[in-house]
Amino acid sequence: MSAVYRAAIKVADRFVPAKLQPLWNHEAGPKTIFFWAPTFKWALVIAGIADLRRPAERLSLTQSTALAATGLIWSRYSMVIIPKNWNLFSVNIFVAATGLYQLARIVNYRRELEARN
Amino acid sequence: SSSSGHSRMSAGGNLFTRGLRYLASKEFRSYLCSTHFWGPVANWGLPLAALADVKKNPEMISGKMTTALFFYSMAFMRFAWRVQPRNMLLFACHFTNDTAQLVQLCRFTDYWYVKDEAQRQQLRRQYEDAAGEAAAEVAVAEPKK
Repeated sequence: MSAVYRAAIKVADRFVPAKLQPLWNHEAGPKTIFFWAPTFKWALVIAGIADLRRPAERLSLTQSTALAATGLIWSRYSMVIIPKNWNLFSVNIFVAATGLYQLARIVNYRRELEARN
Repeated sequence: SSSSGHSRMSAGGNLFTRGLRYLASKEFRSYLCSTHFWGPVANWGLPLAALADVKKNPEMISGKMTTALFFYSMAFMRFAWRVQPRNMLLFACHFTNDTAQLVQLCRFTDYWYVKDEAQRQQLRRQYEDAAGEAAAEVAVAEPKK
């Protein structure tokens, strides 16, 4: 199997335009897992974007906190690993941002409820 | 040391004492304070949630999401292996998640494609009854004011 893969990559290498060569051959580029793992995460995150519109009373406090915390921790982690991974960094910043946004919505909602009672 | 039963003198003591000494070392303590540790710790929520779901009603399983997470954890297993420094805690986390997702995938396939409608109805009733009992227990524990 890997022989097939290597042959395919050898062919593809010739078709990559000169300007894109540094990106194509980057240590965190599309020939490595350091590219595809975060890209997969982006796909999951984009699929979950519809959840941002859920009404505040249906949001889970623990889940939003967990997502915000995970996003922040992983943003830092992606900067201390080798190779440094901006792809992973950006997806986790996004996850942290949405987590914090949802957290703010929950807190606001609960404050409003208390004010009404 | 005589208690370990080794015939030679071990360099710093037996495995147990050496292990304890490592846990107290500066190297280990700085690892515990690093994101190489806390990143994977944060990620463990995913497989733990999946393992908890194994007991629940198979109708709650999303075939698409389970498949997606299965490939996601496969990708991150390789990521954890190839990253510098190699991260075995992260690897273990995603290995566990893949196991759980595979179990869920099998439950999903069995429920919708192997069982017949009569069996599904019976299982539905079982889960409803269990949920009803749990609600009744809560009502007994917290009597209405």
